[in-house]
Amino acid sequence: MTDDVWYGDDSEDAGRLVPLYVLVNGRTTPRNTGLDLATQVIALPADTFTLEPEYTRILDRCGDWISIAEIAAYSDRPLTVTKVLVDILLDHRYLAVGQPAQQTIGDRLLLETLLEGLQRL
Amino acid sequence: MTRTSVKVVVAGGFGTGKTTMVGSVSEIPPLTTEEVLTEASVGVDDLAGVERKTSTTVALDFGRITINADMVLYLFGTPGQDRFWFMWDELAQGAVGAVVLVDTRRLHSSFAAIDYFERRDIPFVAAVNMFYGQCVYDEVEIRAALKLKRAVPLVWCDARDRASAKAALVGLVQHALSQLPAPV
Repeated sequence: MTDDVWYGDDSEDAGRLVPLYVLVNGRTTPRNTGLDLATQVIALPADTFTLEPEYTRILDRCGDWISIAEIAAYSDRPLTVTKVLVDILLDHRYLAVGQPAQQTIGDRLLLETLLEGLQRL
Repeated sequence: MTRTSVKVVVAGGFGTGKTTMVGSVSEIPPLTTEEVLTEASVGVDDLAGVERKTSTTVALDFGRITINADMVLYLFGTPGQDRFWFMWDELAQGAVGAVVLVDTRRLHSSFAAIDYFERRDIPFVAAVNMFYGQCVYDEVEIRAALKLKRAVPLVWCDARDRASAKAALVGLVQHALSQLPAPV
């Protein structure tokens, strides 16, 4: 008999059945480097039949615009992993991407819109 | 159709009210997400007793404010521990600016945040959190103690109060606008 411990169905103790790096094929950074945690995505109509559950679970949350940070928080996955999963979904056109924050610096019109919006709150 | 994301960083030392402020203006209850750390923390985090643990996590609190049908503002609180600078870079990149919360009983705990945004030319306002009642120092004293440049606005706020937290954000965006080159 070895030291193997049977944790039963208590996944809390047994850890993840599939390590996170397997989910993302060992990728550690998204190819689309413009993605940041505030970038919003939305699901595109597509056949999701062949997708792994990890991916369909993300798509299920993307019926309306949602940020990568929110997806990570709701699905309880680390940010980096979520970012890579989203990136893969973007690559395969399951998701569309909004304008990332990086492209908004120094945009006067945008800042004015933001200011008006905050003052209206 | 597109959707624009705008970011504001809520920074400041440990216990200055960052999460409180995010929570008081956010339209959703503040969410927490995690970043996994592996080698970065070895030798820093005390893993005694949890030797099996091969990674540690940095928690990140954030909230959102819908500005209009096309624009959402995300507020990100910086991680409590100052050593997680790599997370600050991700948060600050592309941000409109930062609200640096200041607790007058522990001014030094906000130095690192002020220094961070100053060095990177990211617009920020210093927001003195009045959480513990009336502040005994005046603006001149606090500005001097924080070595704030004249252009940096200093606002008084109560991070628990929605209107007050909102005013700090308005102050930040006005400051960011004032930093833009004059329109031709």
